[in-house]
Amino acid sequence: MSTILDLHTHSEASEDSRAPVEAYLNWIKLRQAERPVDGIVLTEHRQFNRDADYRRLEDKFGTLVLRASEVETTYGHMLVFGVNDDMVARFDFADVRLDAQTLIDEVARMGGIVVPCHPGRPNIGLYEHYQSRPPLENVVAVEALNGGSRKGEDERSAELIAKHGFAATGGSDSHLVSLIGLCATKFSAYIKTIDDLVRELKTGNYEPVDFRPRRKTVPHAVAMETR
Amino acid sequence: MAVNYDPALINKVFEITEPVEVKAEKIERYCAALGETNPIYTDAEAAKKGPYGEIVAPPSFAVTFRNGRHFFENVPRFGMRGFDAGKDVEFVAPIRPGDNVTLSSHVKEIYEKTGRTGTMVFVVIRSTLKNQNDQVLAHIDHRFMNRP
Repeated sequence: MSTILDLHTHSEASEDSRAPVEAYLNWIKLRQAERPVDGIVLTEHRQFNRDADYRRLEDKFGTLVLRASEVETTYGHMLVFGVNDDMVARFDFADVRLDAQTLIDEVARMGGIVVPCHPGRPNIGLYEHYQSRPPLENVVAVEALNGGSRKGEDERSAELIAKHGFAATGGSDSHLVSLIGLCATKFSAYIKTIDDLVRELKTGNYEPVDFRPRRKTVPHAVAMETR
Repeated sequence: MAVNYDPALINKVFEITEPVEVKAEKIERYCAALGETNPIYTDAEAAKKGPYGEIVAPPSFAVTFRNGRHFFENVPRFGMRGFDAGKDVEFVAPIRPGDNVTLSSHVKEIYEKTGRTGTMVFVVIRSTLKNQNDQVLAHIDHRFMNRP
């Protein structure tokens, strides 16, 4: 049994999002045919709310809700899965200059995993940093598909993945309700907990999936007429 | 602490405005400008039977109040460029004709983030609206982005 999870989402707990978790889950329910995700992972910016409890909503909508965090490092933004008290005590998640290598190694030691996100994005993606600095060690996976990517960003991510042999994930990076589930990650395993997710992310046994609608190509003759 | 600033700035009140009287005509003009037709804001007779017993201002009327002549003159700045990054408004109690409204403003939060275009420092100013009875009417969180 496989599981499809949107690994990168922001609810109204992030300062730049206005999306309630309940609205996300309702949208997924309404759009299940186009975006068949089984669950979402909330990756709020620079924070981890250990007290948030979404069990009632999970039961109401039958959709898994897990929690992680998106932090900012010397090599760009990274998703931290399996956040626990040790990590919160060790790192100031609000610090926008966390040392990337230390974060990757320490989070792994404490039982989690770090996945650099939107690596093809200017300024805050791994690709740009790799042009001028040594590559990081112990990176298992990076986010190949990001629902907020602009032209060329996912392509740069793909180039980086091909060059370094990373495993690849997908996430919507949704800040708006209607964008939830546009990109996700398909796991061959059945995932029900954050521990399941961390375990599977370490295996590399998954693939990014893209549910973004494709624009219809305009026939050349029509394009000529409408110039 | 991610961004370098004096922690004493947080919660420091830097501006309290003089009271501004809310006139019924101003509420009427505001409703006309918005196309607001709800009788609890526009019809004195109907409003008497409504939840507040009289006409009250629509909630968004709260954002019509301004700080001093110089908008947030004393706000801490980080760099020379930036823009208004929007506001969040929490409506607490209705604003009524005859209320004398004051705004008290303080720095609520300062934080840093990085994005496609570089580093940004956000300053969040909270303005609290109160009436003559010291009752809180609304909180307005103004968010300003600074480019260091």
